[in-house]
Amino acid sequence: MRDQTKLIRYNEPVNDVDESALIARVTQGDERAFLMVYDRYASRVHGLTLHILGDPMLAEEATQDTFLKLWSRARQYLAERGPFLPWLLTIARHVALDRLRLEARRPALSDSNDPEEVWQTLPDLETVAEESRWRSTYFAVQSLQPDLRQVIELAYYQGLSQSEMAEVLGWPLGTVKTRLRAAMEKLRELWNEK
Amino acid sequence: MTRNEHTPFSENIPAYAIGALDVDDIAALEAHLKTCAACRTELAEYRAVSAALLTATPPKQPSAELRKRLQSRLPSAQKSARPRFSWSLGQLAVGMALALLLVLNTYSILQMRSLQLAQTQLARQYRTGQTLISMLSYPTTERLAISADDVVGSLLLDKDRNIVALIVWNMPQLQEDMTYQVWLIDPQGDRVSAGIFRPESGQAYTTQISFPKQNLTNFVGIGVTVEPAGGSAAPTGERVFKVDF
Repeated sequence: MRDQTKLIRYNEPVNDVDESALIARVTQGDERAFLMVYDRYASRVHGLTLHILGDPMLAEEATQDTFLKLWSRARQYLAERGPFLPWLLTIARHVALDRLRLEARRPALSDSNDPEEVWQTLPDLETVAEESRWRSTYFAVQSLQPDLRQVIELAYYQGLSQSEMAEVLGWPLGTVKTRLRAAMEKLRELWNEK
Repeated sequence: MTRNEHTPFSENIPAYAIGALDVDDIAALEAHLKTCAACRTELAEYRAVSAALLTATPPKQPSAELRKRLQSRLPSAQKSARPRFSWSLGQLAVGMALALLLVLNTYSILQMRSLQLAQTQLARQYRTGQTLISMLSYPTTERLAISADDVVGSLLLDKDRNIVALIVWNMPQLQEDMTYQVWLIDPQGDRVSAGIFRPESGQAYTTQISFPKQNLTNFVGIGVTVEPAGGSAAPTGERVFKVDF
């Protein structure tokens, strides 16, 4: 329960108007606004990069790279296409996975440097849930059976394809597919219950 | 589309939404999605789950140093770190004057070196001329004719003072990596080097004076060959002329 309290505290809803204005100032090269965005979202970005990379030093580098990309590409964020935080976290995920692949000498994600691809991986505006619903995803993932949680971890936070997971886990490809599908269906069910 | 045809694509949607579908299966699913509204709706739901996973990790505050590092990468920090060059008109004038002085100085040094070179050449020619005059005026100096094709001239041989001088006309100019080499020839036909020389540019004749270490009385002739620059230990190239004493 203590974890949930912590999560909610860090996920405090952001005032949309203020956020839009802040991002607009960042696109105009306002460094103060940029640092305000950093102060607001650094823990979210760093939490994700640390979860993916598992190494504090590498995670800090990935967090830094994420915010430097935000500084140089803030203009590519389109408020009408979705909230800011998932856009920023999608960039962070790609940066961290690219770093992970670099460290493990695996090929980089094909969409890692294409900002248009970032939008394509995000849900449509109509289906974007409010942040308060996202908080529950953490607990939804934790509630999965260990073998289902494992495939979600490897697919989403390690960037492995189904074939790569089958190789890493030593499972038949069919088993990986079945468990990944089951895990995603379970998460969707939990999602729709909210 | 029947249910059986639809199922293989539908089954791949969760993996596609989370980015785990293998590359080989992506194109087929994307083609199917263009024509199937039901699958697009399903994909949207799974993408919402996928997006929610972005926030499913516990937040973690990075170190305070990271903020400082990031701040140092911003343009204002870069500008303040960069040295500023702001020149007043006075400083600009002084700078230009210094640059002009540097150019003039360099030009003067180059001219001085050129003059020194010319002076050295003149001094050498003067010494050669003096030596030739003294040899010609010495009673025992022998004068032998040089004649080989176009190359003509005189060989002055002063056995008392052990000096041999060549005054040769029409010596062909040589490539940069070649030289003429003078050889003293002993009675057995062995050759001993008596120096190297190159024709002086702009002059029809060439003079070469040698002061051999060995006594000239030990030799019976003199020859000149073309050798690689720096000379050779023994003749290797074409002979230009030979004079018997």
